[in-house]
Amino acid sequence: MALAKVANLTKAYGDVQAVAGVSFEIQEGEIFGLLGPNGAGKTTIINVLCTYTEPTGGEVVVAGHSVAAEPDAVKRAIGVVPQDIALYADLNASENLRFFGRMHDVPEPVLKRRIDELLQLVGLTEHARKRVEHYSGGMKRRLNLAVGLLGEPRFLMLDEPTVGVDPQSRNAIFENIQALNRGGLTVLYTTHYMEEAEMLCDRVAIMDEGQIIALDAPQHLINSLGTGLIHIGIRDDTDEELLAQLRALPRVRRVTRRNDTLAFETVDAQQALLGIIGLFNETDTPMTSLEILEPNLESVFIQLTGKQLRD
Amino acid sequence: MKKMLHVGLNELLLLCKDRMAIVWMVIVPLVLTFIATLVFGGLGGGEEAVVIDLPVVDHDGGEMAVAVLDILSGTGSLNMETAYDEEAARQLVSQGDRAGALIIPAGFTTAVMSREPTALELVVVPSGQTAPLLEGMVRGISSGFANVQTVVEVAIGEAQRAAGSHELDYEGITSRAVAVAVERLHNPLVDTLVTVVGGDEEGQFDATSQIVPGYAVMFAMFTVLSASGGILEEKERGTFKRLLISPLPRWALLGGKLLAQFVVGVVQIVLLFLFGALVFHISLGNSLLGLLLVTLATCWATTSLGILLVAVIRSRKQIHPITTLVILGSSALGGSWYPLFLMPKVVQQVARVTLVSWAMEGYNRLMILGGSLGDVWVDIGVLVLYGAICFTVGLRLFRFKEA
Repeated sequence: MALAKVANLTKAYGDVQAVAGVSFEIQEGEIFGLLGPNGAGKTTIINVLCTYTEPTGGEVVVAGHSVAAEPDAVKRAIGVVPQDIALYADLNASENLRFFGRMHDVPEPVLKRRIDELLQLVGLTEHARKRVEHYSGGMKRRLNLAVGLLGEPRFLMLDEPTVGVDPQSRNAIFENIQALNRGGLTVLYTTHYMEEAEMLCDRVAIMDEGQIIALDAPQHLINSLGTGLIHIGIRDDTDEELLAQLRALPRVRRVTRRNDTLAFETVDAQQALLGIIGLFNETDTPMTSLEILEPNLESVFIQLTGKQLRD
Repeated sequence: MKKMLHVGLNELLLLCKDRMAIVWMVIVPLVLTFIATLVFGGLGGGEEAVVIDLPVVDHDGGEMAVAVLDILSGTGSLNMETAYDEEAARQLVSQGDRAGALIIPAGFTTAVMSREPTALELVVVPSGQTAPLLEGMVRGISSGFANVQTVVEVAIGEAQRAAGSHELDYEGITSRAVAVAVERLHNPLVDTLVTVVGGDEEGQFDATSQIVPGYAVMFAMFTVLSASGGILEEKERGTFKRLLISPLPRWALLGGKLLAQFVVGVVQIVLLFLFGALVFHISLGNSLLGLLLVTLATCWATTSLGILLVAVIRSRKQIHPITTLVILGSSALGGSWYPLFLMPKVVQQVARVTLVSWAMEGYNRLMILGGSLGDVWVDIGVLVLYGAICFTVGLRLFRFKEA
């Protein structure tokens, strides 16, 4: 059952099209990733889903409620962990949780227990009375996550929750998310770290320039590349006939030309490379560069866009 | 409503956690008000008048010189120091140890009696702030003696013409006429009566009763408008967004923050008034209810002005210079620093656009003129209206979300 449905969503800021006709569904109980570089439109989609931003067009339904028509019902079903450390630095962890808990309608008799549980979950019980301004970046991120969980949401949205944190805190956040997901929580996770998306997400939508350019389980996306991706730099005057010969080579599944680079999706990168180099030698065609990419989400993104994920 | 109170309480908790904010909100206004009151108002509710030390060198020693000293002493504003010689007196002034020195020339009495030209010499430094006051006093006395000489001369002329002879006792006439004229200088038949209405029990104008409310309003504006800037800070830090995406109505979010600012403003003004009453014994007037209502109306108008400024200003970098300009400009124009009635009529008219002028008019009516609640209804009404306009426009322009 779909907990969130996004249909043909668009959002424009003046002349800038932040999101351009995006559609996807998030199934209840899954961890759904939005992977893409900065500016791809990931945060805008979260902002629309959490009712903060009004879409320019399209239909968005969360937990059975339209974000446009029933924003209050949506707010009660969701938890949001924003990219910013949205905490009061002058207050301690307990005070932050108490205030935001009241804002999320957590009943007073339950609030203290809920605060204790969350502090324990994110490993901050011993630092509960310490002012947030004295926390490390990782501790702040963990408390940021705890605040997002105060209202016991069905659907948790995390916007780049591990930016700038140490490996220990990052692992702690991953463990928290996985544990919460095992408990039935549906998660939308945005990141530009492909390792995180691979490790955490059941399905990933890869975004670029406001559009979803691929959507599947991470392993399916990776498998689509075959066993490896080879990039060879060529000169502008490279013969088109050579390209046809390269496409016909065994173990080469697809060849794409993008300006001065040829991208080869292969069944077996090492064996395919022998045939490719042989053909270049036979035709006396110069190579300007050669790169073999490990099959992963990053290389999927490169294959789809011709750009690095962190560009 | 409960959530709005929680937002307000959280604002107050944040304020309490910020030690520097407390210093700025309470300690700085108290210290500056204290200093301003000492400098401009005089400690002890204006009961002790400022007395200027004035070295006087009397080269004459006659009865007219004594009359000059008597008249000057009688003002109550001068402490006549007669122990210095002329050189020492001139040096005291040139070194800046005294505001001025008076030299009574030899032959002053004779000159007055014989209706010859003479002059009292006042030694002052060019930039001395008290010099105009002293000059005015001495010129007044010189003018008085000149008038005496004129009267005597006219009287003798008239006597000569009436008698048709030169055998009258002119010296005796002169002496008696001068004595009468000098007596008139002490107790003039036509005097100037200065009346200060209202004020404390002694009927004196108490500058402290102007300074304390003036500074209280100014610092309340600083505190409230700075707190308004806190909304921009929250927007930049992301906590405002976090609150917007929680199940919290917008009116409760903004209302809670404004409520806290309003309460802080009221507390600050009340604290400064208590300080003024306890330390400087300022008169709080005859209507505490009037004072409270003027204070509430002032804080309402200030809080509303804050939301208007936050609505039209986009960043924290912009808000500090703009609020400082608004506060200092309206304080100077509106009468926080000087009574409005001392300013030119045109300035008084222009000052009406500031909320400070209405607040100060209300406080002055109650605290200086001893007015009642009925005397400040207009001021309260204008402040409430001022706040309502700022609030409505501010709320209309306020951007809960950026873009």
